[in-house]
Amino acid sequence: MAYLLLRHRDIPGLENIEIYKQNGGFRALEKAVTTLQPKQVVEEVKASGLRGRGGAGFPTGVKWSFLPDTIWPHYVVCNADESEPGTFKDREIMEGNPYQFLEGVALACYAVGAAEGYIYIRGEYYPIAKQIEACIAEMEKQGYLGDSLFGTQTSIRLKVHLGAGAYICGEETALLESLEGKRGQPRLRPPFPAVVGLYGKPTVINNVETLTNLPFIVEHGAAAFREFGTEKSPGVKIFSLSGNVERPGNYELPLGTPFRELIFTHGGGIPNGRKLRAIMPAGASSSIIRVDDSNFDRVMDTPMDYESVPSLGSMLGSASVIVIDDAHPIDWVIKKTIDFFQHESCGKCTPCRDGNYWMKHLTTRIHAGKAIAADVKLLDNVAAQVYGKCLCALGDFSTMAVRSAIERFPEDFEKVTGNS
Amino acid sequence: MAKLINLKINGKPVSVPEGTMVVDAAKKAGIDIPVFCYHPKMEPVAMCRQCLVEIGRPVIDRATGQPVLEENGQPKLQFGPKLETSCSTPVSEGMVVITDSEKARAGQREILELLLTSHPLDCPVCDKGGECPLQNLTMKFGPKESRFLYDEKHHAEKHFPLGDLIFLDRERCIQCARCVRFQSDIAGEPVLGFSQRGRHTEIVTYSDPGFDSVFSGNTTDICPVGALTTADFRFGARPWELKSSASICSQCPVGCNVTFNVRREVKAGGGYVIKRAMPRQNEQVNEIWMCDKGRFAGYQYTEADSRLKLDSPELDQALSQAAVKLAESASQAVFLAGGRLSNEDFYTLKQFATRLGAKAYLYTRHGGGEYTTRYGLAPGSNLGNLGKGDTVLVVASDLYHEAPLWYLRLKAAAKRGATLIVANARATKLDEFATFVIRYSYGDEVETVKSLSSKEKVGEAIKNTHHLVIFYGADGLGLTGTTALAQACADLFTSLPVSQTAPKANNGLIGVWSTPNQQGALEMGFAPCADLAAELKDKTVYILAADPAGDDPTLAEALKGAKAVIAQDILETETTRLANIVLPAAAYTEREGTFTSGERRVQRFYPAVPARPGTKADFALIAELAKRCGIDLEGRSALLVMNQIVANEPAFSGITYAKLAEVTEQWPIIGRSDLFYGGTGYENKQGLGVTLSLTPGVSPQGRDKQATLLSPSPAAKEMRGEGLRPKEDELLAVPITKLYDNGTTVAPAKLLAAHIARFDGVFVNPATAKKYGLENGSQARVSLNGVTYSASVLLDESISTGVVLIPRSFGIPLAEPAFVLLTALEPAQEA
Amino acid sequence: MIVELARGLWTTLRALIFEKKVTVQYPEEKKPVKQRFRGRHYLDRYENGLEKCIGCSLCAAACPSDAIFVESAENTDEARYSPGERYASTYEINMLRCIYCGFCEDACPTEAIKMGDNYELSFTDRRQAIYTKEMLLVPVPPGGKPTPQVTPPGVYTRSVPEMKDPVD
Repeated sequence: MAYLLLRHRDIPGLENIEIYKQNGGFRALEKAVTTLQPKQVVEEVKASGLRGRGGAGFPTGVKWSFLPDTIWPHYVVCNADESEPGTFKDREIMEGNPYQFLEGVALACYAVGAAEGYIYIRGEYYPIAKQIEACIAEMEKQGYLGDSLFGTQTSIRLKVHLGAGAYICGEETALLESLEGKRGQPRLRPPFPAVVGLYGKPTVINNVETLTNLPFIVEHGAAAFREFGTEKSPGVKIFSLSGNVERPGNYELPLGTPFRELIFTHGGGIPNGRKLRAIMPAGASSSIIRVDDSNFDRVMDTPMDYESVPSLGSMLGSASVIVIDDAHPIDWVIKKTIDFFQHESCGKCTPCRDGNYWMKHLTTRIHAGKAIAADVKLLDNVAAQVYGKCLCALGDFSTMAVRSAIERFPEDFEKVTGNS
Repeated sequence: MAKLINLKINGKPVSVPEGTMVVDAAKKAGIDIPVFCYHPKMEPVAMCRQCLVEIGRPVIDRATGQPVLEENGQPKLQFGPKLETSCSTPVSEGMVVITDSEKARAGQREILELLLTSHPLDCPVCDKGGECPLQNLTMKFGPKESRFLYDEKHHAEKHFPLGDLIFLDRERCIQCARCVRFQSDIAGEPVLGFSQRGRHTEIVTYSDPGFDSVFSGNTTDICPVGALTTADFRFGARPWELKSSASICSQCPVGCNVTFNVRREVKAGGGYVIKRAMPRQNEQVNEIWMCDKGRFAGYQYTEADSRLKLDSPELDQALSQAAVKLAESASQAVFLAGGRLSNEDFYTLKQFATRLGAKAYLYTRHGGGEYTTRYGLAPGSNLGNLGKGDTVLVVASDLYHEAPLWYLRLKAAAKRGATLIVANARATKLDEFATFVIRYSYGDEVETVKSLSSKEKVGEAIKNTHHLVIFYGADGLGLTGTTALAQACADLFTSLPVSQTAPKANNGLIGVWSTPNQQGALEMGFAPCADLAAELKDKTVYILAADPAGDDPTLAEALKGAKAVIAQDILETETTRLANIVLPAAAYTEREGTFTSGERRVQRFYPAVPARPGTKADFALIAELAKRCGIDLEGRSALLVMNQIVANEPAFSGITYAKLAEVTEQWPIIGRSDLFYGGTGYENKQGLGVTLSLTPGVSPQGRDKQATLLSPSPAAKEMRGEGLRPKEDELLAVPITKLYDNGTTVAPAKLLAAHIARFDGVFVNPATAKKYGLENGSQARVSLNGVTYSASVLLDESISTGVVLIPRSFGIPLAEPAFVLLTALEPAQEA
Repeated sequence: MIVELARGLWTTLRALIFEKKVTVQYPEEKKPVKQRFRGRHYLDRYENGLEKCIGCSLCAAACPSDAIFVESAENTDEARYSPGERYASTYEINMLRCIYCGFCEDACPTEAIKMGDNYELSFTDRRQAIYTKEMLLVPVPPGGKPTPQVTPPGVYTRSVPEMKDPVD
């Protein structure tokens, strides 16, 4: 099967604009700008059933249609602040297939009538930002960006903005704040960015992978896109596989591919003859799926799409599948995730700021074997206390691993607190 | 009137205007929802998450648009899976809010617990202890005990001076950002912000010097914990030991309602001392704010070491001597009173002058009072009601420095959509929020006002406005200039259609005086004297609450040439030093009385502390003097004097002390147990004051002052239209007013010494300074009318070249704009 | 009747001869007070001589007879009276008003004010009944330094020490 997103794996040198053009590059953009109305593009994307690849899985076309026609200008912001632990798909797209990505951004701009698009790239991707800037310059030179595109009135300009290394800026409203030059902290919602976004104007925010899908959809139509994946989760998805597997990496597979195929067929299984113990399907933000003899086949045969993963008590998110073998205690895993969230909490709302602070102390103590059983209960309690009360999703995400771990791996915590 | 929305909170039906937040709706219904970051004066941010409640909304059938009904006929409700923040959720029709269910209470308790786990719990040493929202809410909603290890608690810096007036305890801070938001959204001085993130988030100041704002004290009032404390009250007393006393700030004509907190102190020999000043709510005057000058200099002068006092035989003797002198002189006596006196004092003085045949003047260089009394604000006015369709003109006044609360109120009015026109010869802080900024050259003030109507956009705004309020000041103007300017402003009113300007609320001319009660004096017919020095010669001069000798050496000379000088004041001044007879007056914090604010609002102040032995209230001293001259005046109590004022002064008709003490319900509710809601400011229980009536039934064109002026006002000289142009090498020196001046009532505020020093000098453009070989802070000589003064040079880029700004009260007696020579003072010469 | 009289006298005699005397020759002889006796207050110090009182006024707030008066001020490292930021610059108890209820002791967050054993208070003048801080403070313990002390910066940042639950 030919790659849709990671096409550079099929076509060497795709990061070169000439090679991209030779392989059908910018045909979608030209088609859209010269023959389609923006509304038609939106309708096509709606029909394709493309869902946001950043984690929430919200239908992209629907999101675009929320922008009010009465308030102008509109903005498109691309969220390239790929910060979820275990996620590294956007990086490969931007490095290997930048023009398809940028074509996607331009298509989104055209669809929502935005003359300006911003690409917010995490600060650690500094070389990529430089590369993308060079690509934008090249596209402007060749007339694929800028004014009077393909001889029409359409004008689209893209700008790259570097983040400063905050996980929270992957949250769309915090990203907007950061883009505006303010502290990267989430905004109160409603109003949603679709109505009051960047500089108070209607704004569409999409993930890199989502946008990279657009050229295919526009060029080949929604039906062609729907040939991949499932009814409700159409298309392909890049699964970032990491952890205790033989061959970690990005795998572009249709949505609905079962875990078994990803972990064992593509990933080569668990190294050192260890047993699969747990899976975090959405990076550090996911509930931990317990895998043992009783449910091994059920988990392995679960298709990885937005609808099926929740049946395992977790979610697909950005599909950064972290595999954990039986050599790693789960109390260590949650200590690592809480360390991360505690470090990344922006401090704006109380439950996340103080809850993570105490969860960090408790997980540290529990992992160090200096805790008693009541501390585990307290940890679960604090996590429950934080969940559902925060300003943004980060707060809720920070509790996922903790609560699922305590519920599903009680033996790990008995063992830890037992020797105190 | 906004549409009313019906909802139920804890089963109680509530109707509130559309757009109201649930938390406010609950408050109005008397239901407390705990909040920390929410403040009714600011936009919600929902970041502390304390106000969590359960909210159910009626399920609407998509097909019919009608609410789905349950079997019992009640609308079916849908509750969200999560608790919602009531501070950021607007009410909607049919909404059901539950604030006290087990789920909601648990949510509130859990957030409170998390806040407390990072709080030091050093309530015994905390200044906020006893009036602390966190303490109160913990008692009411909080958990009973801690579940976490004390050793793992977060610790942070405890003693951080944000500025010299405000201390920050980073450990106590709960990151609610009320202070940050107050500074940026309300004060318009974004000098505070957050640094770091997560648990390490801390408040920092961006300005240099730190926390450079004139509203900084307010952040300590709205801080829901003891993180921000004022330098003056630091460890001063526990709140429960304090008695409170209602008063009015005496530092500017705004008339902020304040509360003085007093208690007995060993330092005062067991007597009462004022420990702090706090704002008292008056939504029509100062809302719940006050400026730092009022807070840190408002009462301090009344406790200065230089207070005058005499024991009772001495006082008796002084009064007798003074009475003899005055009686002898009779019509040859001149009374000179400063705007610090109360209405009662002015009235008694006026009666005394009239019966004695003496002349009585108001001591001020800010004229135009005859216009503010005729075109002033009418009853029912509230700057807080100005908004879309209204126009405010500020001319020749730097409100930020002269009357900070008016600056705050006009900034808010502009935000609500009012057209704000700021006309000044130099940049002022209010420019930032103005719709139109008009720059003129000094001397062109009158021309500028006259030409406003013919300007395209500005003229439109003035012609089409629903309401017009004009503030005029004395920025760069003396007595003649201000009088002419007031006349020009008054003409602007008369040029408008009667329908727009007939005495109606939210319309009128306001003088930005430098004293708290100049308006009151004007309303009673007092007026300034055009040539004071000449007037004093060979007269018996009775000076009250004024320091002409300290302000101007020529006046000091004139006083020396007077037949006799009787000075009545609370503090020792240059004038009292050269006076023949000194009468010690009680400070306004020690007696009862009323002030009339620039908005013509008469407001009562109450005694906070007992009068010092050997002092008496001004009106009582005046009445005593009169009595010894054979004139019988009311001097027993302020109340009895007010009764006479009401009977004899038309503007004051209908006013009684009881009426001045009336209060109506104000929103937001503050004080009481609602510290967590509005801050530690005080609820107003002692009176909102009454605005003086304008002579009824007379159109502005025909409005004429009923009461005759005690003395003719100086003729308004027509000013040249092309600005005052200096000759070569000369600079145009203009007097300006800075907030922290060196006046009698400000200088004793020790805490503000550094702030006052920042304005001690002359301000010039850097280019001007360069021309004269001067730099910032260097010493220069200013030659004015042949006299040379030395002053340090302060640079300000917003001043035009050729102009030197001279702040009043710092030693250079510049009464009117004048041409001066500026020369560098060689360091060698200095040594 | 004689019998009753004798029985009564016998009780007297028995007490006189066989029972221990309860009368003491006060003031030459003094009875030790009970452990929880509430006598005249004293203000305690830490071993290093720093005062325990932080001038919080909670004793004054708790006092039912309004006998305590406190004024506080701020410590500096150059002149330190107590740990933390705050100390009592004035501390007065009017012993004539005091009812020796011990509420002040209960209210004290630092165990600074304690009720002692002294019940022998006498005054010839009302003013004498006002005990000042100097009169109430215990002497500097051996090894400690008198207050105000010069202390190194950053050491005494906390004024309310971690308190243990009361025992006894």
